[in-house]
Amino acid sequence: MGTRLQRSSPFRLLFALLGLLLFLWWMIQPSSHSPRTLNINLPDSSPPTPTAALTPPKTAPGINVISMNNLTATANPLKNSERLLILTPLARFYDEYFDNLLKLNYPRNLIDLGFITPKTHAGNIATLKLQDALRKVQHGPKKSRFNKITILRQDFGTPTGQSEKERHAMKAQKDRRASMARARNSLVFTTLNPTISWVLWLDSDIIESPPSLFQDLAKHNKQVIVPNCFQRYKENGVWKERPYDFNSWQDSETALNLGKTMKDDEILLEGYAEMPTYRALMAYQRDEKADKHVEMLLDGVGGTALLVKASIHRDGAMFPTFPFYHLIETEGFAKMVRRLGHQPYGLPNYLVYHYNE
Amino acid sequence: MSLPTSRHSHTQYSNGYSNGYSGGYKNGHASYYKDESWAMSPQDSKYHPKFRKSAYARRRLFLKLGFVFLVVFGFSLLVSPSLRFTVFSAIGLGYSLYKDIPGVEYHDLSLYKGSATGWQRGERILFLSPLRDAEAHLPMFFSHLRNLTYPHHLIDLAFLVSDSKDNTMNLLTDLLKKQQSDADHNQWFGEITVIEKDFGAAIGQDFSNRHGFAAQGPRRKLMARARNWLLNATLKPHHSWVYWRDADVETAPTSILEDLMRHNKDVIVPNVWRPLPDWLGNEQPYDLNSWQESETGLELAAKLGEDDVIVEGYAEYATWRPHLAYLRDPRGDPDVEMELDGVGGVSILAKASVFRAGAHFPAFSFEKHAETEGFGKMCRRMKFTVIGLPHYTIWHLYEPSSDDLKHMKEMEEQRIAHEKEEKEKAEQKTRLEEGWDIKKDKDTWDKDQKEIIDAALKAKEVEKGAMASKGTGKDSGKTPDQDLRGSREGPIAHVDEPGVGVLTTEDEEKKGQIVGHENGRVKQNKLPVEPTKQESQFA
Repeated sequence: MGTRLQRSSPFRLLFALLGLLLFLWWMIQPSSHSPRTLNINLPDSSPPTPTAALTPPKTAPGINVISMNNLTATANPLKNSERLLILTPLARFYDEYFDNLLKLNYPRNLIDLGFITPKTHAGNIATLKLQDALRKVQHGPKKSRFNKITILRQDFGTPTGQSEKERHAMKAQKDRRASMARARNSLVFTTLNPTISWVLWLDSDIIESPPSLFQDLAKHNKQVIVPNCFQRYKENGVWKERPYDFNSWQDSETALNLGKTMKDDEILLEGYAEMPTYRALMAYQRDEKADKHVEMLLDGVGGTALLVKASIHRDGAMFPTFPFYHLIETEGFAKMVRRLGHQPYGLPNYLVYHYNE
Repeated sequence: MSLPTSRHSHTQYSNGYSNGYSGGYKNGHASYYKDESWAMSPQDSKYHPKFRKSAYARRRLFLKLGFVFLVVFGFSLLVSPSLRFTVFSAIGLGYSLYKDIPGVEYHDLSLYKGSATGWQRGERILFLSPLRDAEAHLPMFFSHLRNLTYPHHLIDLAFLVSDSKDNTMNLLTDLLKKQQSDADHNQWFGEITVIEKDFGAAIGQDFSNRHGFAAQGPRRKLMARARNWLLNATLKPHHSWVYWRDADVETAPTSILEDLMRHNKDVIVPNVWRPLPDWLGNEQPYDLNSWQESETGLELAAKLGEDDVIVEGYAEYATWRPHLAYLRDPRGDPDVEMELDGVGGVSILAKASVFRAGAHFPAFSFEKHAETEGFGKMCRRMKFTVIGLPHYTIWHLYEPSSDDLKHMKEMEEQRIAHEKEEKEKAEQKTRLEEGWDIKKDKDTWDKDQKEIIDAALKAKEVEKGAMASKGTGKDSGKTPDQDLRGSREGPIAHVDEPGVGVLTTEDEEKKGQIVGHENGRVKQNKLPVEPTKQESQFA
C-alpha cells in the first residue's frame, strides 16, 4: 500500500480529486436549478432549493378555517355540488380503465383523483403511462380538467407475482391483500381533504361501467354501496359474461362458526374450494330481468367499485391490514363499517366490468 | 517550492524506490514517465531528502482528505434521504414526473417515512390538537407552541374545534393570526388548518363529568371520532410525523418533539403527571391510559361483551396492568423505554406512516378498547412499535374535581375562621396590655388572692377531718391519697371529690401539693407525693 501511495504524483492526485468533485457536482447539480425538493408541497411559494425545507419561508403561511358542519352527502350530489374523490390503487395501467374514467359524466371540477402505485418495475411503468394520460386531460380545456390529482408511490413493498394464478393462490392471498389494504389506507387518509363528500373506489382493472356510475350509486343514499362486478369473456367467438368479484356477500352460519374455530391471525377467504363458507354471494344473485336498483344487505364488500360516504372513512373505517374478525381488506372494511354502526348495501343487478387477463 | 522540480524529483525517487521493492509492473510504470514525458537534467537527479518529506506529507494529506470526503459522502448518502433523492433523481427514474401537469401532485411516500433526526432533514410534522371549550387553556397552549425548538416552518398546525360553547374559535384564530404575523420569521408555523365540526356531545367537559366511570365508554368513542376527523382532514402525503397534543398541558420540555423523535419509534408517548395542591400530596400520575397488557386484563376482556370498553384507572375494571405513570422515577434516565399496549392521548408522537397504514382511534370497541387505548392496541396488532418513556415526564394542568372544590372551600372557610380567631386573640392581648395598669393593680390582686387562699385552706381543713373519720372503716389500708393518684388509665380527675377543684397558688405547687391538672381544673393534694412502684412502672 505504502509503495503505491508514494508512486502517485500530486498532480495525479489533484486530477483524481478534481474528477471526483466534478462527478459529485454533476450528481447534485440538477437539483440546484430545477424545482426539486424533498418536500414538494412547501406552503412557501418561493422557488425551492434542495434545502428549502430546512429554511423558513419568506412569507407567513395563512390560516385555513374550514367548517365541516355543513358538508353534505345526499342522494342528489350534483344539486349540492358535492365533491367526489375517486381512488385507484394502480398496479397496472389499462387504457380502457382511463377511457372509462373519462366517460363518467359527473362534472370534473368536482372530482379529485387519487392514485397509488407500488415501487416496482410494473409500478414505474404504470406511473409513466398514467402521466401521459393525465397530461392530455389536464392540458385540455379548463372545463374538462379534474380539480386535483394526487399520485403516490408506496413506501412499503408489495408481494411479488401479480399474474392471475399467483394472485389468487390462497397462501399468497393474505399478504397480497394486506399490502393492498395498506395501499388503500395510505391513499384515502392522505387525499381525503375536508371538502370531500363522497369517496368512490375504482380498481384499475374496471374497464366498463355506466357513465352515471357515481350518481346512480349515490341515489341510494347509503353509507356504503357496491355494484356487482362481472367480467366479459369470449367463448367460441361469442361474448359472454360471468361473475368476477366474490368479496361481496351476506354472512352464513357456517362462515361464522368457521371463524370461531380459527386462530386470531387467520383469515376467511371467499371463493376457495378448500374453505367452503356457504355465504350468499352477491355475484350469484344477479337477475338480468329485474330492476337494476334492487338493493341487498351485505356483510362483506368487494373493492372493485365501491362508493363510500366520506364521513365513514373519517369516522375511522379503514381497510384492515390484519385479520379483523378473520376478515381483511375490503371485507374487513365492511365489518368495521358495521362495528361503527352502519350497514353496507349491494346492487346485485347493477354491473361494472372487470378486465379479462 | 517549484512544481517542475517537485515533479521531477518525485519521479526519480519513485523509480529508485520501487526498483528496490517491487516487480516489473511498477518499474515499467515509473519508467513510462521517465522515457516519454519527463525531461530530466543531471542536477535534478540529486536526492532531496527535505523536499521528499514534504511532498510525501502533502500526498498523504490529499489522500486522506479524499478518503474522508468519500466516507462522509457515502455515509450521508446512506443516511440522508434528501441527498439520496438528488443523487437518485440524477441517475434513476425521473423524479421530475408530473411536474408539467397542472393540478397534479406527485409524492413518493418513501421519502416521508420519518427518521430520528427529522429536524435536520426537513421532515414535516403534523401537529394536531382537538379542542372543546378550551378558551381558558389557549394562551398557555400558545406559549408552549412558541417555545417549541423544532423548526416552526416544519410544523403544520391543525385544530378541531367541536361543540364549543365558549369563545374558543375566535380566540384561536386571533392567536394564530398574531403568531403568523410575528416579527420573528422563525416563529411562523407551516400550514395551519382549523376545522369546525360539531358532533353533538351530550357529555360535559368538566373534570367530574368526563372522568365519571359510566360516561367513559361513549365519551371515548366520541373523542375517537373527533380525532379521526381531524387526522383524516389534515394528513397530507408529505408529512413524516404526526404529533397529538392536548391543550391542557401545563409544563412540557420545549424540545419534546426532538426528544421523542430521537427514539425513532413508530408510536411514542411520554409519562404524564399532574401537580397537586400540597394537601393532596403535591403530584400524582395523570394519564393512566398508557399501560402494558396483563393476563388479568386479557381475562377480563374475554368475559366482556363485544361492545364493552375497558377503561383504565377505575375500580370497576381492575386489570392489574403495569402503568407507565406509576413506573416514574424522578431521577431516572429519561431515555428509558418501555413497551406499551395502550397509550394515552395527552402527547403522542407517531410516524405518519402508522396513520397512513390505517391505524386510527377506534370509535368502536376494538379488542375491548376505544380511542387512544384502542389505537395502541391496533398499532400492536399492525406490528408497530409502541413505546412509553417512564422517566420523561410532562405535566398536565390540575383541574380540581367537585370533591376537591368542596374540600378546598371547607379549607378556605377553616382558614378564614382561624385567621379571625388569631386576630381576635391578638386584639385581646393588645387590649390587655394597653388597657390595664398592671403595677397599680398588682397590690390589690395579691391581697385578694391571699384572702381567697386562706379561706379555702380553712374550709379544707374542716372537711379533711370529717372525711378521715368517715373513710377508715371502708378502705382497707388504702389512703384517700392513693385514690387520687391515678392508675394505668391515666390520672383520675376526681372533680366531685372533696379537695379537688380548688385554685392554688404557685407556692403550693412548688411544695408538691398539686398532683395534676385536668380539664383546666387543678387537683390538689395536701401531702407531698412520692412516686409509688406502680406509677414508675407505667411512667
